Amino acid sequence: MYGGGNTFEAPAKSDGLELEDPIKLAEFEARIARGEKIEPGDWMPKLYRKQLTRMIEQHAHSEIIGALPEGAWITRAPGFRRKMAQMAKVQDEIGHGQLLYSAAETLGKTREAMLDDLVSGKSKYSNIFNYPTFTWADSNVISWLVDAGAIVNQMANARGSYGPYCRALDRICAEESFHLKYGHDAVTHLATGTPTQRRLIQEALNRWWQPLMMFFGPPDKMSVHTEILMRWKVKMITNDDARQQFLDMYVPKIWELGLTLPDPTLRKNEETNQWEFAEPDWDEFKRVINGDGPCNAERLAVRRKAEERGAWVRRALLKPTTQYVAPLA
Amino acid sequence: MLVSLDPRVTRLHLPDAPGADQPKTALDQLETFEVFHQRKEGQAFTYVGPVHAATPDMAFLFGKEQYSRRFPCTGMWVCATRDVLHTPYTDEAVSVYSTLTELPTPTGTGEAYEIFHLKKRGKGHVHAGTVLGANPTDALAAAKAQLGEALPCVNVWVIRAADLLRSEDDDKDIWATVTDKKYRDAINWKVQDRIERFKAER
Repeated sequence: MYGGGNTFEAPAKSDGLELEDPIKLAEFEARIARGEKIEPGDWMPKLYRKQLTRMIEQHAHSEIIGALPEGAWITRAPGFRRKMAQMAKVQDEIGHGQLLYSAAETLGKTREAMLDDLVSGKSKYSNIFNYPTFTWADSNVISWLVDAGAIVNQMANARGSYGPYCRALDRICAEESFHLKYGHDAVTHLATGTPTQRRLIQEALNRWWQPLMMFFGPPDKMSVHTEILMRWKVKMITNDDARQQFLDMYVPKIWELGLTLPDPTLRKNEETNQWEFAEPDWDEFKRVINGDGPCNAERLAVRRKAEERGAWVRRALLKPTTQYVAPLA
Repeated sequence: MLVSLDPRVTRLHLPDAPGADQPKTALDQLETFEVFHQRKEGQAFTYVGPVHAATPDMAFLFGKEQYSRRFPCTGMWVCATRDVLHTPYTDEAVSVYSTLTELPTPTGTGEAYEIFHLKKRGKGHVHAGTVLGANPTDALAAAKAQLGEALPCVNVWVIRAADLLRSEDDDKDIWATVTDKKYRDAINWKVQDRIERFKAER
């Protein structure tokens, strides 16, 4: 799972392209224009390496942190079948994290450095996981709709230009299809159940709607670097397009369950073919992404504790002959 | 102390504000291995991705979990990344072998080396054959002579056969569990009937 929000840093005065070798840059761009993937040994502009590292790393962190709110519900999932499925889903997410850390490593940043930057708060992850899961229904909303949002982004990114990221995403997307169906089933089960179950899922949906709308990041007019990153096939879909695609696919599915969404202005404009909606609170988005959300401290503290607890095992396993080489592909 | 909705987190007695983080030491995440799988009996082994591990055995276990947990698999090979000799990548219209003009004349003797070809950028390397060589460069020269006509080929990996840890034919039953776990397949979760019933009743 992953949200495209705030992935790219504020525009520098210069993007450094004038310092790049113009012939190599032209060859690089021609390769991408031909539809060929970039592989780790290839020449690439510094900005490409930097933004791609940042994007894949954030994606990896989001998988690992995203497993925490859902993992908390494994023991309390109603029934053996749902426990098994919830566990399989959480295991998938951790596996995705590992695939993505490796893809980012091929760009030159070690996994040690990425994990350090995660727990220190220097690197970001999908903002949505800084919100709490009060009930089983919250976990179901994540399984269905957060994963649905992630799939919109991931399907687009799987057509991107960087080989290792595409290889990882191909595997990830295949597994996400289970998450989506499982989540839809869980939400449907509550929505078509007893009045109490319906109330639980409606309340959870009300809680998660704002974070879901923020999930795709600020409107394109507020985003930076988009043009060059789209030309280089780093960013494959704009925040606005991803949000529209999500609304198109999932609002009708939510409504058909007789559930409502906490935005009275939400409607599809048949003339423009675009969804109209109330802008979420972007100040809250910035506040939460900068560390001041309901669960930021807890997520990082739990992650930090896990790193500390495992350290002695990794130290014990280390042999004097071990040498680090970045993964090849 | 941090208080969470999850009592197990509360019981960890985590501080509200973290102390200064100790940066990880080098090799905290161990080293990397490359993993190849065989999707079906008789098919060539194909690259699936890397894992971090301390030993080849551990890499094999992690590789099995990471790359065969969800997809059919009938065999797996792993190899430390540092044991792989790899060529540069070429354009898709050009064979990488045609760019390797400085190779010595192959001796045709020595140890077995496994050769992997990448046909298209973004895909995985596929096992192309086995050659003999006195060292990895000699093996690459032998691969050029014996397998260099195979097109397209944008990148080659050369791995000494002895450096690959391979699954055994006798242990084939370790791959048999994938289909048992229906609850983690998308196709197992069908909701449309329930939704239609619900809509009809409303």
